[in-house]
Amino acid sequence: MDTTHPSSAPSQSAAEHELAQLIVASLNIDWIQADAIEPEAPLFGDGALGLDSIDALELALAVSKRYGFQLRSDNPDNKRIFGSLRALAAHIQQQRGAA
Amino acid sequence: MSEHWSERKEGGGRFAIWLIRGIGLRLGRPAARALLYPITLYFFLRRPYERRVSYAFLTRVEGRRPSAWRVMRHIHRFAGTLLDRVFLLAERYARFDVRMHGLDELIARMQRGRGVLLLGAHVGSFEVLRAATIGHPEVKLRVLLDVHKTPALTQLLHALNPAIGHGVIDAGRPPGEIVLALAEALAEGALVTLLADRARADERCVTVEFCGAPAPLPLAPFALGGILKVPVVLCLGMYRGGNRYDLYFEPLADAPAAARGQRAAAAQALAQAYAARLEHHVRLDPCNWFNWHDFWNPQGRGVDAAGPGVDAGADHARSRA
Repeated sequence: MDTTHPSSAPSQSAAEHELAQLIVASLNIDWIQADAIEPEAPLFGDGALGLDSIDALELALAVSKRYGFQLRSDNPDNKRIFGSLRALAAHIQQQRGAA
Repeated sequence: MSEHWSERKEGGGRFAIWLIRGIGLRLGRPAARALLYPITLYFFLRRPYERRVSYAFLTRVEGRRPSAWRVMRHIHRFAGTLLDRVFLLAERYARFDVRMHGLDELIARMQRGRGVLLLGAHVGSFEVLRAATIGHPEVKLRVLLDVHKTPALTQLLHALNPAIGHGVIDAGRPPGEIVLALAEALAEGALVTLLADRARADERCVTVEFCGAPAPLPLAPFALGGILKVPVVLCLGMYRGGNRYDLYFEPLADAPAAARGQRAAAAQALAQAYAARLEHHVRLDPCNWFNWHDFWNPQGRGVDAAGPGVDAGADHARSRA
């Protein structure tokens, strides 16, 4: 891995950056740096991150621990929420605001 | 014959299932069981793919090519368990002789209150598990089931026992949601059951040794216990003919607390332990094996009628990029 690569942050907001770091740390991701996660790119499937169902669980547990609320399996907006870093960060901000 | 198992048409067919239901519940189990003979013959003659699967499987585990009679017995056993699902779901448990093995081990783990993950397989009848919960309404049973894969059977099951529908976690949802739903059920202390011997076409797999060759198993069922720190118990309801079932509970891992970096290795070890116990039970009674596809190579060319297909175990498990 090229660790000397400058952080070419593709316009992550502060909240997105924090979440990207949580994702990389909690899922033991070593093939992409937090800074390099595209905010609009898909998190799951064949994207650069390529997360799977077990990652979804690990991510939900990490979010619960850090932000203190549950990502639920029965949320009708899950497809959108888990769709990208940006959408997930927005959902987290919204949930924290509601709490 | 290169279809993935999930693309095969539902083996029962609406007509056969309607027949089993109508005859079964009106005339009773003995009359319905008599009908299983012509149904078995029909399947043997008209479902060459399943017939070849049976030949190949029995050849592999028994070391010699089975007689046509034995293959029909295999199909007959399968049809028998399908019929019994009707009676089990209609809660006519009294007509069955279900012998429990290891129930105390399961109860001890349930009393910890964190939920238990029960891993079954496509052998015998998983439905006899319901018999174990009779008289225990406090036991929350949640079953992962793909309700769209077998629409005829699912319609029938819901018609017979609508309450059971509430305990079903639909495996047709996106994988991430399924895993979250399983985690939520376990957090509520439920007995969460799923069949861990088939992966979806796009699912991450681990490779285990099974009956003498490498076979792919889905990774997720074997990773869940470690992440959620819940006990994992094998659950097999083996059909012994007549009205007899043996229901086995065998602890596979107790709240495995593997460090994050070792989780993949822990899941692999658990999958292998599961495969070894499954092999043990299947070798004792091969006609309980109800995976009607090439188990060792589910996305390959299909089974070879000529033999057990020793080259069928090529490692095609998807590895992480």
